[in-house]
Amino acid sequence: MSQVASPHSIAAQFPALRADNITLPPGSGKGLGTMLMAAGLACVVGAAAIGVMGIGGVFARQALAAYHIGSMCVLAMSLGALFFVLVFHLTQAGWVAAFRRQAENVMAFLPFAFAMVLPTLIIEIATGGKLFKWLSKAATGEYVLEHKSFYFFGGAEIGTGHVPFPTFFVVRALVYGAVWTLLSRRLLSLSLLQDSGQDPSAFAKARFTSAWGMLLFALTTAFAAFDWLMSLDYVFFSTMWGIYYFSGAAFSSAALIVLILAALRGAGKLQGAVTHEHFHDLGKLMFSFTVFWGYIAFSQYFLIWYSNIPEETAFFKYRSEHWKGLGILLMVGHFVVPFLIVLFRGVKRNYRLLAVMALWAILMQVVDIYWIVRPIVYAGNDQPPTGAMVWITDILGVAGPLAIFFGYLITTIPKGPLLGVGDPFLRESLEHKNYV
Amino acid sequence: MATPLYVTETGEPIHGILAEFATPADLYHAAEKIRDAGYRRWDTFSPFPVHGMEEAMGFDRTILPLIVAVGGFTGAGLGFLMQWWMSAVDYQLVTQGKPFASWQAFVPITFECGILFSAFAALIGMLALNGLPRWNHPLMKKERFLSSSDDKFFVCIEAADGNFHPERTRQLLEKAGATSIELVEE
Repeated sequence: MSQVASPHSIAAQFPALRADNITLPPGSGKGLGTMLMAAGLACVVGAAAIGVMGIGGVFARQALAAYHIGSMCVLAMSLGALFFVLVFHLTQAGWVAAFRRQAENVMAFLPFAFAMVLPTLIIEIATGGKLFKWLSKAATGEYVLEHKSFYFFGGAEIGTGHVPFPTFFVVRALVYGAVWTLLSRRLLSLSLLQDSGQDPSAFAKARFTSAWGMLLFALTTAFAAFDWLMSLDYVFFSTMWGIYYFSGAAFSSAALIVLILAALRGAGKLQGAVTHEHFHDLGKLMFSFTVFWGYIAFSQYFLIWYSNIPEETAFFKYRSEHWKGLGILLMVGHFVVPFLIVLFRGVKRNYRLLAVMALWAILMQVVDIYWIVRPIVYAGNDQPPTGAMVWITDILGVAGPLAIFFGYLITTIPKGPLLGVGDPFLRESLEHKNYV
Repeated sequence: MATPLYVTETGEPIHGILAEFATPADLYHAAEKIRDAGYRRWDTFSPFPVHGMEEAMGFDRTILPLIVAVGGFTGAGLGFLMQWWMSAVDYQLVTQGKPFASWQAFVPITFECGILFSAFAALIGMLALNGLPRWNHPLMKKERFLSSSDDKFFVCIEAADGNFHPERTRQLLEKAGATSIELVEE
């Protein structure tokens, strides 16, 4: 049923592929996108100003933590999009041809997402560690840290009175950035090459790239999660951490793709191209990854609860004593609520309802990272600051990177066709149907 | 068993009317006509899946998912209750210094019981909804019907359908383009 045909013959057969249905007017979204990016930048500057000047007693490291939460969320969604593009190529998925371009648009933000994380790392290294305890403890040295120091500092000696340069940590960060830039650029350019119809082997090349790309993706994502989230408290360790970050990333990224497609459908585009059948399957992906997140999150907690090793348990003990409400919100909001709602076929097949759940999923991604990072900031302080300024700093710091991210997407998406017009599986995708 | 509404001249109860079609397209369009005539108890038979047939036949959504959900939640609830009763009530034993009623320790088996019960509910529910298992089916007596797994396409409208009428149903199938029509005894 799905033979490969040239793009020209397909366009004639499917009214859904008429030009005004699969393109946005050039320059549309530019105003809104630029405004969002400017607002995002203003949020980041505002949070930084509050932190640096100490308005309302807020510490600089809280502003930095808030920004780190926002940028790690943006990174998670970009990485999730890369994951889906890789998986779609590896499994030679046909049904995705009508919307894979939108996953690629999110994926294309990866180099920028990496660049967004960099300022936190640079400030941390320059100031000798505001958030990362392994930096601040390196000058005096500490028993556990000495055994882990190679992972951060390479061969450099710690406990000499000053913080050595974390060579190995920095090298790894640069490797992640290089891998993500290479993979996202290459997969996007192959997809655009496919649109031009000049290279019939573009599809096969993307598939080959995905094979080795998936391996690098898995390693870089897991170790980035170890380096930038788990190492906030270097005493704590969990071998499940990489997959924990990934599971949330895949969930929120599937949600973001749904949100983009729902917005395009709402704007009257992709009518008859991305149908309720596609939303149904994307909803299934969202459902599977909320279950996967619940499974991983519980497994991680379960093993730590059972073995009761002090270094591991401290992570959950502190959070369940001082951040109990947030922990419950995370369990209920990230797993129970999406599970019970997205379970229903009717929700998955209605793009408006699914878009509401997608927004909720992205909010829960923020709550997840917030729950990981934020308790670190004032842990051990007798008198953490309270009041509205504390909340405002968190909101500004988190909203900044997210606004820049969404602004980028809004300016980028209208620049090309909304789907890969040269995809060999476009026919199969346009005729896609769930038979159950 | 209730007295059959229709019997053959020899007194055999009638199962239904079997009609043969030459192509999947004929079968598909016949299915649309039978659906529009309001029949409920009938089926189509084809050597391979015909895309869109469930719409042509006007399938309702199955209630199987509901049965599975009830089974799954029942299993998970019973699994949790069982462990709680064993660990916290019937045979208290200090394990790893944890409280007797530690919900964390119960989760894996609760989950597994949920899976087990929903799998049973899915299998048994599917069999029950399909009227299985059964020893034989009246259609199996028909020599002609064997080619439904080879190169022919069939429709069988059952006498148990409220709309069934020996003459009118036969005429409907004739009009739908059947190449052969015969009565199927129970």
